[in-house]
Amino acid sequence: MATVTPDLGRAGGSGGEGSNVLRLGKPFRYTVLILVGAFFIIPILASARFSFLGNNNSYTLSAYTQLFGTPQFWSTLWLSVKVGVGTVALTLVLLIPTVIFVHVRLPRLRRLFESVSLLPLVIPSVVVTLGVITSFRNLPNIIYGTPVILALEYVVLALPYSYRTFDSAVQSIDLKTLVDAGQSLGAGWIKLLRFAILPNLRSGLLGASILTFAFCLGEFAVASLLSFTTFPVFLVQVGRLEASQAVALSLIALIFTWIPLALVMIVFSQRRGARRVAGVESAIEAAVAD
Amino acid sequence: MAVKDEIRSGSESVSGGGGEAPADAGRPRRARRRGRWHTGIGALPFLVYVSLFLLVPAISVVATAFKNGNGQFTMANFDEAVHGVYLQSFIASIKLSFASALIAAVVGVLTALAVSATDNRIVRALVTAGSGVFANTGGVPLAFSFIATVGNFGVVTKLLASAGFDPYAHGFSLYSVLGLTIVYQYFLIPLMILIMIPPIQALRKEWIDASASLGASRFQFWRWVGIPLLTPPMLAAFIVLFTDAFAAYATAEALTSGTIPLVPIQLGSLISGNVLAGQTNLGDALGAGMIVVVMVAALLYAYVQRKASKWLR
Repeated sequence: MATVTPDLGRAGGSGGEGSNVLRLGKPFRYTVLILVGAFFIIPILASARFSFLGNNNSYTLSAYTQLFGTPQFWSTLWLSVKVGVGTVALTLVLLIPTVIFVHVRLPRLRRLFESVSLLPLVIPSVVVTLGVITSFRNLPNIIYGTPVILALEYVVLALPYSYRTFDSAVQSIDLKTLVDAGQSLGAGWIKLLRFAILPNLRSGLLGASILTFAFCLGEFAVASLLSFTTFPVFLVQVGRLEASQAVALSLIALIFTWIPLALVMIVFSQRRGARRVAGVESAIEAAVAD
Repeated sequence: MAVKDEIRSGSESVSGGGGEAPADAGRPRRARRRGRWHTGIGALPFLVYVSLFLLVPAISVVATAFKNGNGQFTMANFDEAVHGVYLQSFIASIKLSFASALIAAVVGVLTALAVSATDNRIVRALVTAGSGVFANTGGVPLAFSFIATVGNFGVVTKLLASAGFDPYAHGFSLYSVLGLTIVYQYFLIPLMILIMIPPIQALRKEWIDASASLGASRFQFWRWVGIPLLTPPMLAAFIVLFTDAFAAYATAEALTSGTIPLVPIQLGSLISGNVLAGQTNLGDALGAGMIVVVMVAALLYAYVQRKASKWLR
């Protein structure tokens, strides 16, 4: 969907940098930032308060202790982690050869492959789930009847984030030269990947992995409609019975999603300073913008 | 980093000596064809994978939508999907997505402008990183944190009630379309900020200086330069937000337990087995309808995006 070309911002250069060239007064800026900031911070503070609130307006940790004592909390979290790890592994196996291949052999088709990776944005995940049920019902039970199907689908559904992140990382290194150099020194593709290409793509790989993993931990629609009790599905079940526990759980989930995502964003803002044509950051910008 | 530079500088001299085409090479070079043994295996698995796990399901939904329970061709599913409660859910979904996207677009642009005009690097870094994080935080946890805030017994609800204004006594409910519109802002506004910061920063300093030296007032600058330049990217962003809101399922389901008539929710409840006799493939027709709505949005997007990219290069 979003073809928000990452290089747009850099092209114009000095736009908003440094001085108030946009001619917006201080009162306007601070009013907007404070109001919007409040909208984003208040629900977090409210959740924290709500989750610590006991019966008689006293503060208690009971929502948290009860939660950690629930075996389902751990089992569903473990399931989500397993699905996430599987998805990340599968994503990397699929993306690394594909993106590198496209850059080396089919540079003219780069945009096409990128559009393919954005297809999941055009097909809502509820619709994909229905399609999975109608078309894969007859597959062997090991695939369709187990969370394996979740990992298989998540690879596709997270592509808009993972593909573009990795693609821009590859774009930002001089891949052709690396390949030429390696080949002229007699390295095969395995050696080339292992010693020359992948070490240069570490942050791209990390970014793609984190975004994919965060997606898997939060995904609800597909898991719930295919009747797998992953962490978010468990969260909804808790919410039907015990609001304060659900809020506590949400707070934990949010914080644990924010930490890795913030990590990606920090990596990205540091690279912005370091290099003009930075890959990961623009990709994240673009991926997130989708 | 040092290793990388080493490899790079080393490789440059090698390729320079090899008489390869200069750096602009946008097309595959003949010299490459030698290593043919792995050609083809590179990109094929990816395309096969996406076809199998995305296109096959999507196509099967559309194909099934034209069939009745016995596998014969019929338009009855679509007939049902565009009447009565299902028509209502399409209308409600489109209204909700349109309103949410509109509010988020306005607030997001104002915020992006405010951030771009701020000298404070920390504020900028904070807003950009925060937007990246929040835009990715949809779903179930979000619903519950809003329940804790402005739900029936939410913290802010209680505060307002004790201050003499109980929103629930004045017709407000979080578990409604209005409530969803508010909750959706939490991931739509950051999305808008992220999309709009690059085009706003691309407003060239020369243009701003030029308009200033020509004596343009602040109003004139925005009327003749700023707004015309930012309108196409804003429209494109609006469509992205609309699509995002239209396809959202988790937040609405968690917040309303499936009681609100929106297309994804209706489809979800059909999938979960609440299928009446004679409605076997109705869900597929709803799914096909959703694809059509998003496709229309995507086409509009492509059109607007083409216009948008004209100036901001």
